[in-house]
Amino acid sequence: MLAKALTALLTVVAGIGAALLLYWVLNWISERLPDNWEHRIKPYLFILPAFLGITVYILYPAILTVINSFKDNFSRNWVGLTNYRTLFDSTYFRGTLFNTLLWILIVPAACVIMGLTVAVLADRLSPRGEKAAKTVIFLPMAVSLVGAATVWRFIYDSEPKGSTQIGLLNALLSIFHKGPVAWLDTSTYHLNSLLLMVILLWIQVGFSMVLLSAAVKGVPVDTLEAARIDGASERQIFALVVIPQIRGTIITVFITVTITVMKIFDIVYVTTGGNFNTDVLGNQFWTQISTFFNYGAASAIVVIFMIAVIPIMWYQVRHFRSEEAA
Amino acid sequence: MRSLAYRTALLGAALLAGAGLTLTACGSGSGSGSSNSTTVTIWSSVDPPVKAGLEKKLVSELKAMGSKINIQWSTVTNINQLIITKIQAGGTPDIAYIPQPGVVAQMESLGAIKPLNSAVDMSSLEQNMVPGMLQAGTINGKLYGLLGSANVKGLVWYNKPAWTKAGWQIPTSIPALESLMSKMKAKGSATAPWCMGINSTGSQGWPATDWFETLTMKDYGATAYNEWVTHKIKFVSPQIEHVGAQFAQLLFPNGNAYGGRSAIASTGFDVAGNGLFTTPTPKCWMYMQGSFITGFFPTSVQSSLDKSVGVFGFPPATAGGQNPVEGGGDMLTMLNDSANVQTVVKLLSQPQIGDDAAPTSSFISPFKNFDMSLYPNDTTRTVANIMYKGDTFLFDGSDAMPAQVGAGSFWTQMTAWVANQESLNAALTNIDQSWPTSGS
Amino acid sequence: MTDTATTQAAATPTPKIRRAATHFDANPAKAGWITKSVLIVLCALWLIPLIGTLITSFRTTDAAANTGWWSVIVHPSTLSSLTLQNYKTALGGTTDMGQAFVNSLAITLPATFIPILFASFAAYAFTFTEFRGREFLFLAIVSMLVVPNYVAFIPILKLYKIVGLSGTFPSVWLFHIAFGMSLAIYILRNYMSTLPKTVIESAKMDGASHYQTFYRLVLPMSVPALASFAIFQFLWVWNDLLVALVFIGPGSNQPVTVALTELKGQLGQGWELTTAGGFVTMILPVIVFLALQRFFIRGLTAGAVKG
Repeated sequence: MLAKALTALLTVVAGIGAALLLYWVLNWISERLPDNWEHRIKPYLFILPAFLGITVYILYPAILTVINSFKDNFSRNWVGLTNYRTLFDSTYFRGTLFNTLLWILIVPAACVIMGLTVAVLADRLSPRGEKAAKTVIFLPMAVSLVGAATVWRFIYDSEPKGSTQIGLLNALLSIFHKGPVAWLDTSTYHLNSLLLMVILLWIQVGFSMVLLSAAVKGVPVDTLEAARIDGASERQIFALVVIPQIRGTIITVFITVTITVMKIFDIVYVTTGGNFNTDVLGNQFWTQISTFFNYGAASAIVVIFMIAVIPIMWYQVRHFRSEEAA
Repeated sequence: MRSLAYRTALLGAALLAGAGLTLTACGSGSGSGSSNSTTVTIWSSVDPPVKAGLEKKLVSELKAMGSKINIQWSTVTNINQLIITKIQAGGTPDIAYIPQPGVVAQMESLGAIKPLNSAVDMSSLEQNMVPGMLQAGTINGKLYGLLGSANVKGLVWYNKPAWTKAGWQIPTSIPALESLMSKMKAKGSATAPWCMGINSTGSQGWPATDWFETLTMKDYGATAYNEWVTHKIKFVSPQIEHVGAQFAQLLFPNGNAYGGRSAIASTGFDVAGNGLFTTPTPKCWMYMQGSFITGFFPTSVQSSLDKSVGVFGFPPATAGGQNPVEGGGDMLTMLNDSANVQTVVKLLSQPQIGDDAAPTSSFISPFKNFDMSLYPNDTTRTVANIMYKGDTFLFDGSDAMPAQVGAGSFWTQMTAWVANQESLNAALTNIDQSWPTSGS
Repeated sequence: MTDTATTQAAATPTPKIRRAATHFDANPAKAGWITKSVLIVLCALWLIPLIGTLITSFRTTDAAANTGWWSVIVHPSTLSSLTLQNYKTALGGTTDMGQAFVNSLAITLPATFIPILFASFAAYAFTFTEFRGREFLFLAIVSMLVVPNYVAFIPILKLYKIVGLSGTFPSVWLFHIAFGMSLAIYILRNYMSTLPKTVIESAKMDGASHYQTFYRLVLPMSVPALASFAIFQFLWVWNDLLVALVFIGPGSNQPVTVALTELKGQLGQGWELTTAGGFVTMILPVIVFLALQRFFIRGLTAGAVKG
């Protein structure tokens, strides 16, 4: 096993070394060019490796996917708009779209608000206290999503009436002689979807907290000082000094979480499997690919993703432009 | 940026690393078994102890033959999805054990698997396997999937000591079962006739489909069952509607199933059976599930299986009438027909391949002439006998139907109906509508 | 700025101050009891599910299926029934966990470092240089965030087959690097755009090349964002199951996530092992998180803006 470990280590060093080598070569090339060329080419060289990777691994499959959305299940024959038509004709799919919309409306906002709260509050603690608080909030991120489903099983579980409840919520209810409630099967007012969103928030807030915390710490202290000297209260400082300066990060986190939520499927897949009106677009995509082997329909769903992300992109452009103007 | 010496050193290290990287990339890496290499790769998703047993016997048989063939047998989760991915993109194993005939059919339609007829001894198989087993893996007259290990469904489990004490008799027909249920209910409401749970991570609802399938085959026989599985008999049809009504009759009335109808959808299939063994009063008298459920029983029960547990096959519709048995299993498929692979396939297709797996795992051999003394306990022997003595072996319908139905609408519609969110008619109609129209 | 620091240091001459000075100096807002209690409640709620699972990982399947995990706390007499069996099975058993662990590291480390390298160069270019198509290219990269990585499996597998990379570590590295790139560039570029432009400008005027500006100024100032992304990427690759399964497959190169799935039976028997296994795989990412915490400090940009 030691031999294997050494081989692995060598492989790792080789990999990282190769990457550094690549950049060194690129820089060397750009330095060899005459000055005005160097200036113009350098930016493109800087983004070249990143762009190459993205083009091959994401852009190329994405284009292939768009093409496949017009083909049949194993991408052998053209079927035109059949995949789209079948999807949109199905009431089930339309219900799925609505559920996904619900997720998109609730989770990103909640995630940003909670992450910001933790970031700002923890910032005021002593370094040790802050580290502890942030580690606790971060912990769920370290659990894989399948692990998270197992974890929450012990909160949401429901046993037949009369049996000992092993889920925390139902156990609490039984103390008051109520329930049990089959939480994840109850779709009135989308309760089960909301409960699943809680699981995602439990995991995702760590993400927004880490980024927002970095941003909050990047706010130049002199601005805070100046405001304090001017007699502003802490709340005013937060709203009028801190928030505007981290606005860019808030938007970044918001957009990233929104896109993650659009694609989400693991949580739904391992808990309800999409039953009881909890199905979301990402889970449908997964079902089409892995159970039905219908690559055509799955591709159509991805195209729907890509179209749905356009409003988000438009918003990012606007932010971009306003940033540049400042 | 830094000193020249430093930059040179960095360059040197990077070059060395780059060379190392290239070598690693070329050197390592598992390949798919190339034609007639002496390494034969096998993928399966059977339980680890079963795989260990089968592999051990295979390797020892190859050694006894003096063969140079080397076996690389891997347990693969998501084997259905992975195999289809690999077929399209390259990197397939030589042999794959697939738990669903529907997937085997997909593989055949992609031209990925070869017929097994010439690699195995067909006449011996026909003689020694339960009727229906070979048919499950036959497509267009050729054998593409050979059952390698079997599990039996439609089994009713009971708590042996409690049952004997109460004096219940094993029913030999469905009407007898119903009268037994009345007696059970009359005895006291603390113990319901049935435990039932259809919840399952990622595949909620499949136990309900097993009930449906068992009832269909017992009521209407193998031919009608096969017609139903191939959609010649639709879900909205007198037969299936009758089966649905029968299912409701057996399980939904108050007091028939522990926890009532409302608990069925949220109770896990893995823990529902534990209700047979609760002390001091069991929650229920009977639990219908496949042979694998013993692995989910409480550990105290598992360690004294023969004493604690009894099992009988779900009775036929009329005493002595047609009695097909439902089951499932993993079917061997051959993706590479090189000489070495065919040798391995031949060995895997013989009864004795299970000799090491049977005593140490939940393995049940599909062969009638398998040495039953190798099974680890009487319970397994009883279960195996139920399968061997059945008229026909019928593969689990939801594994044989197209995935959109078998692993899709059949499961979800059953769940919705059991949870009383839909009428039976609506559920059956929805399933029919989801049946793929073209041969996709 | 500098004045305040000296005054603070002179006033409280304890040795601890040298490090703490930066903190309290920077944010004299102290945590009141409201802040503390809100955080305590939140952290407690956050931990409950994990505590429940931790307790369960020490229980037998029977116990876990029959009584709630809190019964161990409420009825301390049952503490004796706790067992290490789940951990023993998860770590021991037939699968070589040690090898899987090494494999996981071998997969995760390059897949974390290399995207940071590439992405920070790209982010720098997007933030501080002008070139044609800058906005368009940036948006193209960000919109790629929405593409699920599973649609790339088959096309990339085919490509790898041609190039002969199947089943090797580089196959997974390249995949994770490419998919991590979009998020990395997005986060890093956003962070870099908040850096004080005046510093960069003055460096350029002093004749620094792009490379030097990047290496000496931008990169050190971007450390919190780099650390953030490193944590996420490490986590994502470490916990990944599907990509490893598809590109490396089961066998001697499999990481811990794939090895753990081998423990479960076909129908999910052995779920109690998931609890134990989950905690085992969780340890390393948490260590990484704690280790990178030192980069989340205030004051990296403080003092950079003079006057």
